[in-house]
Amino acid sequence: MDREFITRGVKRCSGGKFLLWILPWVAMLIFGLYSAGLCLVKGLNQTNMDNRFAFGLWIFLDLTVIALGAGAFFTGFLLYILKMKELRAVINSAVVIGVVCYSGAMCALAVDVGQPLRFWFTFWYPNVHSMLTEVTFCITCYLTVLMIEYLPIVLKNRKLRDVPEFLVFEHELHKLIYVLAGVGTFLSFFHQGSLGGLYGVLRGRPFAFREGLAIWPSTFFLFILSAAAVGPSFVLLTTWLVEKISKKRLVRPEAMQMLGRISGLLLAVYVLLKTIDTLVWINRTSPGNGFPAAQYYAWHPFGTWILFTEIALLGMVPALILLTPKLRARTGWLVSAAAMACCGVALNRFVQTVQTLAVPTLSFDKFMTYTPSWQEVGTFLAVLAYGVLVYSFSFRYFQLFPDERELKLEVAQVEEEPALVGRY
Amino acid sequence: MIAANKPNKIARYGMSIDLDRCTGCGACMVACAVENNVPPAHEGATARKGITWIRVFKVDNGEEGPARRSVFVPVLCQQCGEDTPCVHVCPQQAVEVDPATGIVGQMPERCLGCRYCMAACPYHARFFNWWDPQWPAGMEKTLNPDVAPRMRGVVEKCNFCHGRWHAAKERAAAAGKSEIEAGAYVPACVESCPTGAIRFGDLKDAASEPAVAAKDAHSFRLLEKLGTEPKIYYHSKRDWVRQVAAAPKPPNGKENARG
Amino acid sequence: MLPWNYGFHWTAGTMIFMGAFYTVVVIVASTLVNAALRSRRALRTRQAERIRWAEDFHDLPARDRQCRHVLTGEFGYRECPNAFDCRQCETHAKLVASAAPDRISEPEEDIFGMAFPLDRVYHRGHTWVHSEPDGTVTVGLDDLGRRLLGEPDRVDLPQPGGRVSVNGTAWHAHKRNADVRILSPVDGEIVATGGPDAPWYLRIRPDRMDFRNLLGGHEIRPWVMREMERLQLALSAEGAAPTLADGGVPVQDIAAVYPQADWDAVCGEMFLEA
Repeated sequence: MDREFITRGVKRCSGGKFLLWILPWVAMLIFGLYSAGLCLVKGLNQTNMDNRFAFGLWIFLDLTVIALGAGAFFTGFLLYILKMKELRAVINSAVVIGVVCYSGAMCALAVDVGQPLRFWFTFWYPNVHSMLTEVTFCITCYLTVLMIEYLPIVLKNRKLRDVPEFLVFEHELHKLIYVLAGVGTFLSFFHQGSLGGLYGVLRGRPFAFREGLAIWPSTFFLFILSAAAVGPSFVLLTTWLVEKISKKRLVRPEAMQMLGRISGLLLAVYVLLKTIDTLVWINRTSPGNGFPAAQYYAWHPFGTWILFTEIALLGMVPALILLTPKLRARTGWLVSAAAMACCGVALNRFVQTVQTLAVPTLSFDKFMTYTPSWQEVGTFLAVLAYGVLVYSFSFRYFQLFPDERELKLEVAQVEEEPALVGRY
Repeated sequence: MIAANKPNKIARYGMSIDLDRCTGCGACMVACAVENNVPPAHEGATARKGITWIRVFKVDNGEEGPARRSVFVPVLCQQCGEDTPCVHVCPQQAVEVDPATGIVGQMPERCLGCRYCMAACPYHARFFNWWDPQWPAGMEKTLNPDVAPRMRGVVEKCNFCHGRWHAAKERAAAAGKSEIEAGAYVPACVESCPTGAIRFGDLKDAASEPAVAAKDAHSFRLLEKLGTEPKIYYHSKRDWVRQVAAAPKPPNGKENARG
Repeated sequence: MLPWNYGFHWTAGTMIFMGAFYTVVVIVASTLVNAALRSRRALRTRQAERIRWAEDFHDLPARDRQCRHVLTGEFGYRECPNAFDCRQCETHAKLVASAAPDRISEPEEDIFGMAFPLDRVYHRGHTWVHSEPDGTVTVGLDDLGRRLLGEPDRVDLPQPGGRVSVNGTAWHAHKRNADVRILSPVDGEIVATGGPDAPWYLRIRPDRMDFRNLLGGHEIRPWVMREMERLQLALSAEGAAPTLADGGVPVQDIAAVYPQADWDAVCGEMFLEA
């Protein structure tokens, strides 16, 4: 029985029910690990990637997942550096989301590269001019930071806390957490940016190439902004999902609305800058390289609808919803807007990774499409299942939502109110 | 990059390809594969997963019927000289431009296989080893001892037959010369072209054929506007060929690639 | 990465990049080492119990961290800044100095049928301290604490000769699924142990006869009333039928009346353990 590992005073489903919940995810994980294993053992010929589609589903997954995982750094930044105390209610959950997203992305990357055993080459022979070097360094460092931030959450487990060494270390580490939050913010700032820069610097791909500031193309800044905007949205979305699945109140509505408001604010700025950037690109950057921007949208199914969907439908609309206090106060609107924002950023990452490669550069080359193989999808699912499992275990055994117990008591208090009044 | 390799004279090797002479026979592709120990295509490999350091595209003017005209365009690494797109993206310095020759080189033994360089290359002239290289029994005897085969999971590309450059260098040294003489170093595709469409030489040497072709009014380079200063010059007297090559996209948008 | 690696150049870019990277590595590593060293020091100076209480106190809901002077009505709202250790509290000292001396008419408070003798002082974790003539003190569970645990399934008492500290663990009690740490009201050395059947649990030789952190006299009634309210809340949160609200008297073994309740949660709440 795992009862003694579960935080005191919170209700968790029975061990059997939990097992039933994780079983399909474990099955998915096993299938995914088999797919990934095939790719590692037999090589990347198991995928449908090719010399043109050198990047595929996995890179899209990595970029999206890392953007969504930005909630960890941004919530940490807002809470520990800007002292927004309301966010204490979700910080642990945000850290777990961060750990899941970043470690998942790292695992997918390890399968994606042709020679995973050479990962250390990047550290040994770094080319400091490459955006990918910056990404590799920052993500590795940041994952380490996230793991260290995750440590206090694990060590605070009721049973582990009984060991004085763990108790004391957790306490001392938590006192220094603001240092880690600061370092995490610095690192995240750079790798979110560099992930954008990854495509923005591609002079040979006029669809992706952007001008910018000094060594950083505009996508560098847009990625930072969009990740910071969508991170809180994803934390909000996850919290709502966990509340629905576990049928519990975990976070006060004020905290949820605060996440929504922050997300909306940043999203609005992002949409504005993205629009300016797109206009500059259409009217100056791309034609300057000999490519009228209209041609990119002549290839079906990549029409201009994709631009409209990305910026207006999944950018401006959720930003406006999140910035309207009346709509924000209603859970349905709040959660839908957060989900739309997440989809918008995912679409942006898709456009950056997949559309960039699909559009031909040579005038006599052709437009190509690509469908991932089942091994690629399997590996994708493995990352998803891994994430759900790590989060499920964390939710069951660690105190992800510090307000949970108090909210439970509050509910009881409201129900008890008449009785208490009658008594005194 | 290594001081000992630095010759007295700095060369900028380049190529000129006369499209009016190319018959699309594909001899260059075969010669290239043989010279550089490119393994036979693996079972299940498609054109999109194959390794073809040089690849001949069939391009037409988009017309139908008797007005239809075709041209063959051999595309290989364009050896970009400025802002070489693949060099600065490589996270581990596995791609470098040799300062002595201007040749863009790939070091497969340092390559991680991240394929970022492939995404960066506008000419799609970089190839990934999706499979372990395999030769049919007996065929390994035909391997070129001057070129190391590449392993699975790394990227490779045209390097103007680097093995031949080394051999020429050694021959020159044996003859007591410090530099390779013009014509003593020629890549395999140049040598194999039956119509002599592909010419090779040092662009710094004003008398070399590519240098002469570079100045020709009928010469052009692919995606010149990107500003990467490729060192492969194409030449055609036919206006429509130059127009199609310079157009931002195919005239009819339909697939017309071969190879 | 390192100057002797092939391909390394001393350029501004390299120096900025490497400088930033090594700075981050040094900061992260020194944070970890710092935390490890501090933990080692804390363990050596036996701070574990103090830290445990500091964390538990921090995790208590704000309304449970209220100052004792809120209970008696001297403040409307005040969160205790000293983790219930009034010995350092200047506000407490001032208020005690200015307050009229306690006039105790009865030797014992009877609250809902529970006995709280006023010859002793009480800890907010439901233990009492009674001074003995030989200079030691006895420590036991108060009536509410006793009724919460009823007949405990098991009690883990410390060995005589060991030490306890204020708000640290005095002993462990098990009842049904509850496994609670009973907080010590005093600093001192354990002289002898009793148990649930003895009149007291521990006999302690205190370091100092300083019980300013404990409640006594007129504070007992408002405190117990407040505790009953908390119990009420905890019970209803755990899905127990609210029989206490009907003015019922807590029975000798409260747990037995609520077989459905998560007793661990209820006891954690009442004995101030996270």
